[in-house]
Amino acid sequence: MQVAIIKYGGGNIYSLCKALERSGAETILTDNPEEILKADKIVLPGQGNAACAMTSLVSLGLDGVIRQATQPVLGICVGMQLLCKSSEEGHTPCLGIIDTVVKAFNAHYPHQKVPAMGWNEVAIEQNPLFASWQETHNKASGYVYFIHSYYVPICKWTIAESRYILPYSAAVKKDNFYGVQFHPEKSGKTGELILQNFLSL
Amino acid sequence: MIELIPAIDLIDGACVRLQQGDFSKKTVYDTHPTTVARHLERLGFRRLHLVDLDGAKMRRLCNIRVLQDIKKHTGLKVDFGGGICSEADIETIFSAGAEMVTIGSMAAENPELVADWIKRYGAEKFIIGADVYKGEIAIHGWYKTSNMPLTDFIDFYTTLGVRKILCTDIARDGMLNGPSTELYQSIMQRYPELHLIASGGVAGNEDIEMLDRKGIPAVVFGKALYEKRIQPERLFAHYGIAKRIIPCLDIKDGTTVKGVHFDNLKQAGDPIELAKTYCANGADELVLLDISASKEGRKTFTELVSQIAQNINIPFTVGGGISELSDVERLLQAGADKVSINSAALNRPQLIKEISNKFGSQVCTVAIDAKIENNTWYCYTKGGSERTDWELKKWACHVEQLGAGEILFTSMDHDGTKNGFANDILAQLADCLHIPIIASGGAGCKEDFLEVLTHGRADAALAASVFHYGEIGIPNLKKYLKEQGVNIRL
Repeated sequence: MQVAIIKYGGGNIYSLCKALERSGAETILTDNPEEILKADKIVLPGQGNAACAMTSLVSLGLDGVIRQATQPVLGICVGMQLLCKSSEEGHTPCLGIIDTVVKAFNAHYPHQKVPAMGWNEVAIEQNPLFASWQETHNKASGYVYFIHSYYVPICKWTIAESRYILPYSAAVKKDNFYGVQFHPEKSGKTGELILQNFLSL
Repeated sequence: MIELIPAIDLIDGACVRLQQGDFSKKTVYDTHPTTVARHLERLGFRRLHLVDLDGAKMRRLCNIRVLQDIKKHTGLKVDFGGGICSEADIETIFSAGAEMVTIGSMAAENPELVADWIKRYGAEKFIIGADVYKGEIAIHGWYKTSNMPLTDFIDFYTTLGVRKILCTDIARDGMLNGPSTELYQSIMQRYPELHLIASGGVAGNEDIEMLDRKGIPAVVFGKALYEKRIQPERLFAHYGIAKRIIPCLDIKDGTTVKGVHFDNLKQAGDPIELAKTYCANGADELVLLDISASKEGRKTFTELVSQIAQNINIPFTVGGGISELSDVERLLQAGADKVSINSAALNRPQLIKEISNKFGSQVCTVAIDAKIENNTWYCYTKGGSERTDWELKKWACHVEQLGAGEILFTSMDHDGTKNGFANDILAQLADCLHIPIIASGGAGCKEDFLEVLTHGRADAALAASVFHYGEIGIPNLKKYLKEQGVNIRL
């Protein structure tokens, strides 16, 4: 099982690689279109600012490559936001795979700190990405680790919901494209299960 | 996290609510259910429980057009119930776009037939309505009661694979006098895997928050929402990030030590094994401090950081010996999620700005060691060995302005004493800061953690020796805090 992790910036993906490797995958960090499209699975990691990330994907010619992919693709954090139509962060167009606009959190109360950072609960729907969840969690929810200032609103592609200030998409799915707002590589056993399920798709 | 399911009850195509199912006690809220549904979606709801009350009374589907229209104009996931008598009805409902059907009276009156439908369409598409009156199943729009005990009924359907049971205590429905929490809790105790949907009696946000705290998986509400007793924005605002429990590994020469008042070091084990154990036991985050670094100017053990990153799947912060951006870069590349700086920040505050500009504020934790002197808290540098002129609150506000993402506050007066955290000053810090605070120093028993996370208003509590020496087990501690109503990841 080879997983291509798309290389398009200087972000830290060490933990992500190690987590995928612990789940039995062979990882390759690459910006080479052929290598990306040849892999069994593709991961689009999150890298800082959405506008900068989009600029670097476009300059590497990888935006078209991602859209072309037919194997399962997993966008993580900003990587999930990039799957959407556009983002309020830097007012950038994104890949346009998921037809919704990424929005900025606006805190209403003093305890609502932005970025939203830490463990928050998600409620999941039945989806292969969440296989065996019921057996391991005994309910259709669990805690995962988030760091983000922008969110994907609830939309028809939402497959997991979380609530912070308002309800938002913790995970989305359209065709072979999956996105998770949280960091599965930092989300304990729950995150491990999700990565394993992704590898089994 | 409780699933929130607003209900629309339909009579003659309009959105109504009844009191205890009595048609003579109805209130019409809106004549255009689709408008209501779109509004619900805008508020942030994802689900809709659509009830055809005409259908329930007439025993045939009467409001299918409303369902079609709502599905056409919203992305809400809808379950439809009321008046379902045949497989043809179920076919009609699914063709109209509903994701699920809710079977009420038929589930009690004709379980064999319903069982056939479940086998044919799949258990996940069915919500079984259990209208309960004094522990027994009530049927047919509440005009009849059966003699079937609720548990027999649930047993029958769970055996068929059904998980969603919509339980209405009909003595409470539409009465706004609070839900039957004890009934739901007793059901959940007996059937922990059930996706129980509580229905009836919800009068406001507090009721929903209470059901959530008691672990009830889902709730239906109608009247309280239409009468504006539920404020949806506040309902969502109530959810937040869980409080964190953070073991701290003080590391010297590759082994974990814990200083009592910062010297007298005792050995507490192999950091990699310790980190893995904490991770498996439910620690929310780890902090690794190279405690020798500040004193002797040593660089943090990058190699150890990378080994830990390979072995754990929770976030961790590394501190000690960080004096420039290249140190931060090296540690982040080794797999750390955040860095903690202390003396270096006091020495050159601009470092905070540089880190947060380059890597994001979430990466930059500023550790503050402070001690009280003539009623004033002063910040200390170099591992607590040297007093600075910075007053605690001034320094904390200053580092926040410079871009710190978090404060790790250690009261040197409390550290190692096991007499509890510095709750008063922590609460004062929470008043003047807008970034999370990790409280450190003084943990002795689980009540200390409860105190600091509630009255001390800390976002996280950090401790070392009580965890290292097994005096407090993290699973027990977290269970205790959850029982006390603290938002904790279990």
